[in-house]
Amino acid sequence: MNERYSRQTLFPAIGEEGQKKIRKKHVLIIGAGALGSGNAEVMTRAGIGKLTIVDRDYVEESNLQRQQLYTEEDVFEKMPKAAVAEKRLRAINSETDIAAVITDATPDRLEELVQTVDLIIDSTDNFETRMAINDISQKYQIPWIYGACVGSYGMSLTIIPGMTPCLHCLLKKIPIQGMTCDTGGIIAPAVQMVIAHQTAEALKILVEDWDAIRTTFTSFDLWGNQYTNIKIAKAKDDGCLSCGEARTYPFLQNENLMKTTVLCGRDTVQVRPPAKQQLDLARLSEQMQASGYQIKGNPYLISVEMKPQRIVVFNDGRALIHGTKDLSQAKAIYNRLLG
Amino acid sequence: MNKLLFFAHLKDEAGAETLSIDVSGKTIAELKTIVSEQHGLTKIDSVMTAINEEFAEDDDIIQQGDTIAFIPPVSGG
Ligand SMILES: [Zn+2]
Repeated sequence: MNERYSRQTLFPAIGEEGQKKIRKKHVLIIGAGALGSGNAEVMTRAGIGKLTIVDRDYVEESNLQRQQLYTEEDVFEKMPKAAVAEKRLRAINSETDIAAVITDATPDRLEELVQTVDLIIDSTDNFETRMAINDISQKYQIPWIYGACVGSYGMSLTIIPGMTPCLHCLLKKIPIQGMTCDTGGIIAPAVQMVIAHQTAEALKILVEDWDAIRTTFTSFDLWGNQYTNIKIAKAKDDGCLSCGEARTYPFLQNENLMKTTVLCGRDTVQVRPPAKQQLDLARLSEQMQASGYQIKGNPYLISVEMKPQRIVVFNDGRALIHGTKDLSQAKAIYNRLLG
Repeated sequence: MNKLLFFAHLKDEAGAETLSIDVSGKTIAELKTIVSEQHGLTKIDSVMTAINEEFAEDDDIIQQGDTIAFIPPVSGG
């Protein structure tokens, strides 16, 4: 085994055997924001065999305070996070096979993405996607690690199908989006603390040290000096629709899919077309410029100023409407642009 | 007597990190009604609860001396 991982293999619970296992594993990270960029960097440095990172967004100035893979230049270029992450991660470790996917992690996309995956690390910013990950995890028997933070507060939970309760067992009612992120802000240490919990669990899973898995729901407040671990073993619910005997995987069903979403903590609506499209962005860009709009773009997206709104269109037909929280207004603007 | 522990923004809503109150004999669901009506906690439906650091369901009954924690799941990432 290579010198590169010598300090990690010296750690007895990993060792040479553990490192060989890590090398063979494929980790899927959903989200390349604050948690995603940190989790991806730790996994890449640890020498996993393959990393797939999925994100629907692009880099903005307000990300730089805590999203460790991105720079000012990425903001200027409005680069998609997944594309930048892929480039940086490859530069960090050429031995890990890095795949970036610029897409919204809908249930259909998740089904395709998890096929050869050993572990899913949640780095999303919404419960709609998390509950879909939870169902996928049960359906394909793939462990996943929940992580989330706001303000100085964060939490994590490890879900191993057949061994632990699932997130749906614990959350009978799905928390309403934006419960706290609009008001709470976020400090980087809270992000790092969640990453530390998620990646420690990830390493245990990758080396198959099942006895070491944390069986509690951890939450902490770094500013308020709180740290708590809740035992959850008895929360396993045989009637759970995601992991119980009569499971239906409710969060994978198409009728549960939204086509417009208000993005948490942002004055932005995402509009997702019913089917994936392949837009000709160059042509669209020309048309918009001819209509007098100010356009900025790159091969992945174009950004159109339509004051007071700004619209960012990705080549799969998805759009972010900045400057509104009104779903129907967002749809209207989308239609005005893309017909 | 029982001790209530509030996490994250619930601490701000309740105006305190801890609260001493006698709720023994009541269920978690009844306690949730009390804290939302009398202590200003919002969206209490989706808040996780624990009795003595063990996950608690809505129909669990609180005993004398139990500590009950209110932990709101968050979505940021
Ligand atoms: Zn379950």
